[in-house]
Amino acid sequence: MGKPITPMKPRVSQYGVAPEFVTKRMAEYPEMTSVMLKDLFADTPEVIYPSEKGLDAVREAAEKALANVDMSMIKPGDSVNVCASHHGFTLLGGEPYALLLKTVRDIIAERTGTDNIRLRAGVGLRFRETEEYIKAFGLDKHYKGRAKGVAPVDEGIPIETEIGTLYGIKAIYDADWIVHVHNSDVREVHFHRQVDRAVKPFGMSYARIETRSTYHQNLGPRAANFTARAIFGSEFVQNKFAFAAFLDMSPAGVVGVDADNDLLALNDRLTVNGCKYYGKIITLFGEIDECIAGLDFPCPVPYVFAAGVIYCNFAGANVDLFDLDNPLPPYTWYTEAFYGKNGRPLVGDVPVVNPAIKMVVHNYAWGGYPSAFFSSHVPTIVVGREQADLINRDPQNIEYVKHSVIADDLDSAMEFAYKTAKTDKVIIFDGAVGGLNVSESLAQLLIEKAPQVNKRVDVELMPKWLKQRGIDPATVK
Amino acid sequence: MRLVNMLAQVDAEKCTGCKTCVKVCPTLAIQIVDRKAVIDSEKCRSCNNCQQRCPVYAITMVKREKPFKVYVDPATEDRTKIDELCAKAKFNPEQIICYCTETRAEEIAAAILKGYDTPEKISLHTGVRTGCKVECIQPVLRLLEAAGITPERPDGWQWYGRTPTVWDIPEDVKAKYSKRGFYFDNDIELLNKVAQTKKSGKEDN
Repeated sequence: MGKPITPMKPRVSQYGVAPEFVTKRMAEYPEMTSVMLKDLFADTPEVIYPSEKGLDAVREAAEKALANVDMSMIKPGDSVNVCASHHGFTLLGGEPYALLLKTVRDIIAERTGTDNIRLRAGVGLRFRETEEYIKAFGLDKHYKGRAKGVAPVDEGIPIETEIGTLYGIKAIYDADWIVHVHNSDVREVHFHRQVDRAVKPFGMSYARIETRSTYHQNLGPRAANFTARAIFGSEFVQNKFAFAAFLDMSPAGVVGVDADNDLLALNDRLTVNGCKYYGKIITLFGEIDECIAGLDFPCPVPYVFAAGVIYCNFAGANVDLFDLDNPLPPYTWYTEAFYGKNGRPLVGDVPVVNPAIKMVVHNYAWGGYPSAFFSSHVPTIVVGREQADLINRDPQNIEYVKHSVIADDLDSAMEFAYKTAKTDKVIIFDGAVGGLNVSESLAQLLIEKAPQVNKRVDVELMPKWLKQRGIDPATVK
Repeated sequence: MRLVNMLAQVDAEKCTGCKTCVKVCPTLAIQIVDRKAVIDSEKCRSCNNCQQRCPVYAITMVKREKPFKVYVDPATEDRTKIDELCAKAKFNPEQIICYCTETRAEEIAAAILKGYDTPEKISLHTGVRTGCKVECIQPVLRLLEAAGITPERPDGWQWYGRTPTVWDIPEDVKAKYSKRGFYFDNDIELLNKVAQTKKSGKEDN
């Protein structure tokens, strides 16, 4: 246990309150401490970032990985769309992903002779989010004014696939070639279940509303992941796809950069890494018996991070999210859809939201994602009237504050939470890098439980997870 | 149920009349008059699409003086017909199809039975497609199709068409990818079970 890790700073964004309204962070309380991932799991991978070399290590790793990629199909004068997603900018402050995007551009220009290279940055449900990142990280300048954010309501293009017509965003595909630049952070494992993780943006941030609705409404909680595979496998996309470059992430930071002309080969590698790197910490979170969860990070409610795990995965950590034999995690949109008018599940297959979360203190988290499910299932305190007002104006969260109480400040929220939740265990989703900020009582529990989780994942769970995804555990080191 | 508490407002000085806002408005609440966007406040459902996509940042969202709610009460339509429509579209009537407005399939079925025969009219009267604007287009199209309605596409980017469901996936495709973790048949079983289960018992408002 050590002193708390500095939380990720608030970010200026139209989707959250201005940083000056975030007057105190949860990690500032004297009862808070930190636990490093290395101290929980000895096999936590070494990271190149953060490290003493700083961002240079990311550039070097990108250059090395891209040296093995064939770019000969791109001729001088050809147009190339470097396709990005908002998600990468939420990792470790966003600089490593922004640098990867810059490096990819530099190397394409250098090796192919073309200068017609554009950045197309897709989004989740906050349609101007990548516009904000493009400006903040100087990507518009680096791409010589050819950088833009694209949204799922922008003009579409039909894509014929093995299962029928799906729709992409026209601006993603309006070039001779596309290059897919993403990351392997597990993030929405409740949705993608670590199936085709590397392919997912083709069915999501590069896709139109029709396709995204197909994923979340038409195919079912596990079959949904075929949406992206169908689009990526289409003749239309295959004829444009040049290569992919990924930040290889672990909960502790950037492990390296992986790049390949064969996205499905890269996908298989990242599937294994994702299960390995994130499986243990998510399983350990499932061992927490009771706690107050603090949201304190510049992202929408479900996406705030602790030890590389997002809050909505903690909300489902009472179920093994990697085990595909479990049809429904405690939170997905399919799960949410299956609650009837009486507030109870329509079918018995719906697991409850993690009962260990006794209360949520929403100190700082954005709107821009439908989050009322969380406040209606877990008692929630929103800190500050400004934050509550901002959420109330958000068309995706008209009902969120209705299910919450509002505290004037963090001190009164914490006082109320301790009294009402009757636990002194606190976990803070504040983006702390390399570990997580928790109360001393919770730190002790995590340290005590980690060895048995370590063994269970290695011996029992990993082989099952890999087999379910068509990967022979014997082939994995 | 959708609380409409905001309203789009155009800065005519900035507006270039490019029509982007017209093409993304899910309720067709915007027209270009004299090369400027004009918002119909009666039809605006405060979804923010226009404000989020305007290339010159000419649109802001302002608080409405008098917020109002839109809702189609399923109790005002024939229950049997609502249930039939939902079953044909493979939804449980109580299944939520819009997560932002907590709109259930039965409300959309009731709206269709009232004669709202396009996604735009359905959005106007139920508020569906005015929260995230992304996830709920397919259930709306599936329920319209179940009613035998082929809606005419607006002259914009509001929506393009119905896409495949898990029940449409060819057997050879399922077989080809069966070992990759997609669990097609298991999900069909789950979705059928949800669609066919009885209602929770809570009466309509």
